[in-house]
Amino acid sequence: MVSKRFIAKRLLLLVPVLFGVATVVFAILHLSPGDPALTIAGERASQAYVEQVRSNLGLDDPLWEQYVRFLRDTAALDFGQSYQVQRGTAVSSILVDRLPITIELAILGQIAGLLFGLPLGILSAVKKDTFTDHFTRIGALAGISVPIYWSGPLLILLFAQIFGILPTSGRISSSYFVDSTTGLILVDTLLEGNLAAFESAARHLLMPVVVLGVYSMAFISRMMRSSMLEVIRMDYMRTARAKGQGAKITVMKHGLRNAFIPVITIIGIQFGSLLGGSVLTETVFEINGIGTLLVSAIERSDYPVVQATVLVFAFMYTLVNLFVDITYSILDPRIEQ
Amino acid sequence: MAGNDSQLSRRSFLKAAGSATVAATATSSVAGCLGGGGDGGGTLRYGRSAHSDTLDPQNTTSGEVSKVTNQIYDGLINFTPGEATLEKSLATDWTMDGESVTLQLREDAQFDDGTDFTADDFIATYRRFVDEDYEYHFEESSVYGPFTLGNWIDSVEKDGDYTLNITLTQPYAPFLRNLAMFAAVVMSKDDVESDFNFNQDANGTGPFQLDELDNANGRIRLTPNDNYWGDGPQVSELLFIERGQNSTRAQALVEEELEIIDNLDPDTISTVEDADNAAVESGQGINIGYMVFNQSRVEAFRDTRVRQAISYAIDTQSIVEEVYEGIATDANQPCPPALFGHNPDIEAYPQDLEKAKSLLEEAGYGDGFSFQLTTFQNARGYNPAPLPTAETIRTNLGEIGITVEIDDRQFGDYLTYTGEGRHDASLSGWYTDNADPDNFMYVLLHPQVESPEGQDYVDWGTEGFNTSNRAAWANEEYMSLVEEAQRTADQSSREDLYHEAAQIAHDEAPWVYIDYADEVRGVRENVSNYTVSAIGGPHLHLVEVE
Repeated sequence: MVSKRFIAKRLLLLVPVLFGVATVVFAILHLSPGDPALTIAGERASQAYVEQVRSNLGLDDPLWEQYVRFLRDTAALDFGQSYQVQRGTAVSSILVDRLPITIELAILGQIAGLLFGLPLGILSAVKKDTFTDHFTRIGALAGISVPIYWSGPLLILLFAQIFGILPTSGRISSSYFVDSTTGLILVDTLLEGNLAAFESAARHLLMPVVVLGVYSMAFISRMMRSSMLEVIRMDYMRTARAKGQGAKITVMKHGLRNAFIPVITIIGIQFGSLLGGSVLTETVFEINGIGTLLVSAIERSDYPVVQATVLVFAFMYTLVNLFVDITYSILDPRIEQ
Repeated sequence: MAGNDSQLSRRSFLKAAGSATVAATATSSVAGCLGGGGDGGGTLRYGRSAHSDTLDPQNTTSGEVSKVTNQIYDGLINFTPGEATLEKSLATDWTMDGESVTLQLREDAQFDDGTDFTADDFIATYRRFVDEDYEYHFEESSVYGPFTLGNWIDSVEKDGDYTLNITLTQPYAPFLRNLAMFAAVVMSKDDVESDFNFNQDANGTGPFQLDELDNANGRIRLTPNDNYWGDGPQVSELLFIERGQNSTRAQALVEEELEIIDNLDPDTISTVEDADNAAVESGQGINIGYMVFNQSRVEAFRDTRVRQAISYAIDTQSIVEEVYEGIATDANQPCPPALFGHNPDIEAYPQDLEKAKSLLEEAGYGDGFSFQLTTFQNARGYNPAPLPTAETIRTNLGEIGITVEIDDRQFGDYLTYTGEGRHDASLSGWYTDNADPDNFMYVLLHPQVESPEGQDYVDWGTEGFNTSNRAAWANEEYMSLVEEAQRTADQSSREDLYHEAAQIAHDEAPWVYIDYADEVRGVRENVSNYTVSAIGGPHLHLVEVE
């Protein structure tokens, strides 16, 4: 079993990681061009007015002072108020609004990827060098090679504009307003018992999830295949067969568990890149998750929002990796040592 | 100046251009609308490129925010739909005499929450915006606080509940128009003096009230304000929906998921034009796109002949027709034709390379010179294609021996860079704030400091210099004309002054005047009574949806 000490150690490591990320983000923001005071003040503002905005925001303080203040506030989980994206609103409350949107997309994308990727990978390995194998491999290669900003618009063109069977963008039709209980639109619509709204949300999410899912499926099936091929050649597999166990059971019982370890790593990394990929997916499908939030915050020099969003990305990424490591040690207790 | 603005009849051509109403033809296309209810019933869905970042009209300079707040709040005075003229709103009558302005207020207006509107509400609104001594002063108030009210108002007093006496710091003719701006709409005193969250909530006397602000999906739902004093609304529900990409916004219109869309570029215009269930409606805009010569920085630009030569060399007509695909007209002076300050006798510099070369020769730059042209990257209303515009300028000027290096920047960075006067020349532009010529001619070309003896420009670092004058131009004759116009109450005298100033601004060429862009919307055929407005709109309470 996983020791508490292992988890505690890993959680403790989060602190320097997040500190590093915070420092880098702070540095990049303050070194890059663009002046938030001027962006807020607008084209009409006089120099004096811009100065006043700058001093209201504390942006005229020495950089080290701003840095210390930022670290202190961040440590207290106070991310400040948005400058521009949602003026005067606490960044934490913006994140509470937006984060579930991205998580829902990433989870659905991951589920779709696993649902198709794992069986395809296993099938490909078991039927090595047959037509099925070649077909799956080419499909996977194509899936990895096609960037989201290309496949997304292509799907929109095909299913929304030419066939007209799916909506182009957004998460739900404008006719439905659903109370945000969990922030996950599929769950919220069900909680309200509004099946029509649920259907609308599902139809809206279909294309983004497919786009994310294809990418993740491709990775997972390739990894599953090669890992499975390695395992199939192992002695214990032959022993199992020699003892008279059927081929299917051997693969599923002995093969799968062992072949799964490298795949779990991929799934972990994948989930991280799904969160990152959400920046593109959300932009293409105009979904207001933290991906689009980050993009618009960068465009508008909204420092507090950029800082908090990047930290949340880093935190989630690290957390997923920790989760992956824990899963390893459950699958193979030797790893923890 | 009383009641209705006197320029109404003279600008009637505007109405023809601007009041692009759509014939209502009933079809089966109402599917997707929430049916019934309300006055006229139905849902009006307005698609736009960005969601509101606040609902507080005093916390923004964004036109995107005003589209929503204009439905919820009323000003003392409003802009007439589709025109640059004024009409009654919370004030039913007004007089302006020198520095003294008196307004009679409406006695039958109520806020959404049922409280009565009185003079105290305007006073609280004004004080929240600009009065630092007021306990409830809003510290983050936008630059429109000082820009439109604070700099001009000395005091605001009430005489009973329904009369306001405003004393100005100096005679200032555009003042009534400033009162009609979205930023000057009236909030409730009770809200101002409580912890009401104006960023996320709203309570006005306007035709609609806020029903739901859905930031997670970029949507805002408004419903009719039952207490509204005026006509309308004609629909039972009004939705503002964010569709960031122009193409998907146009597609959503054609697929009958939206009734009206704005911010159309040439590509999306053709999508709407090709559809049989929607049409493109356009009206004259109140804006200008131009190229600035920074005289404070580049010595060659201080010679009028060089500026004229460049004006002759740049083919603005082809920029407007080819690059902007005809959704603009070419410009010839600072003030756009929709406003009375525009001098109709001025013609644009035609492209004439020979004349340009000989002017350069005369000025001693026959061998040419080089400069950097700073521009923003993304389209703005007054400049639908900044990079191709810059490319055209580079090509045109290459033909008279001038080398142009294009320096393109993200908008925020561009603002900082040019705001600090580091540009040689820049592409620039302006949307009107208050539909007054002063807002172009004084704000953008008057340095607001004395013109130094013997020169037509000021140094960028001069104390108090108006950096909106990115050309640093300081022509004394022009300056005194626009100052006088600012102080002159009589409309026709003002008009003469602006016409004279416009002639100077044309001849002296502190800018290359590029274009006045049209206001373009996509409108479904089930929509009627919609007017394209360049200012004060959209006037959605009048719109009917079948």
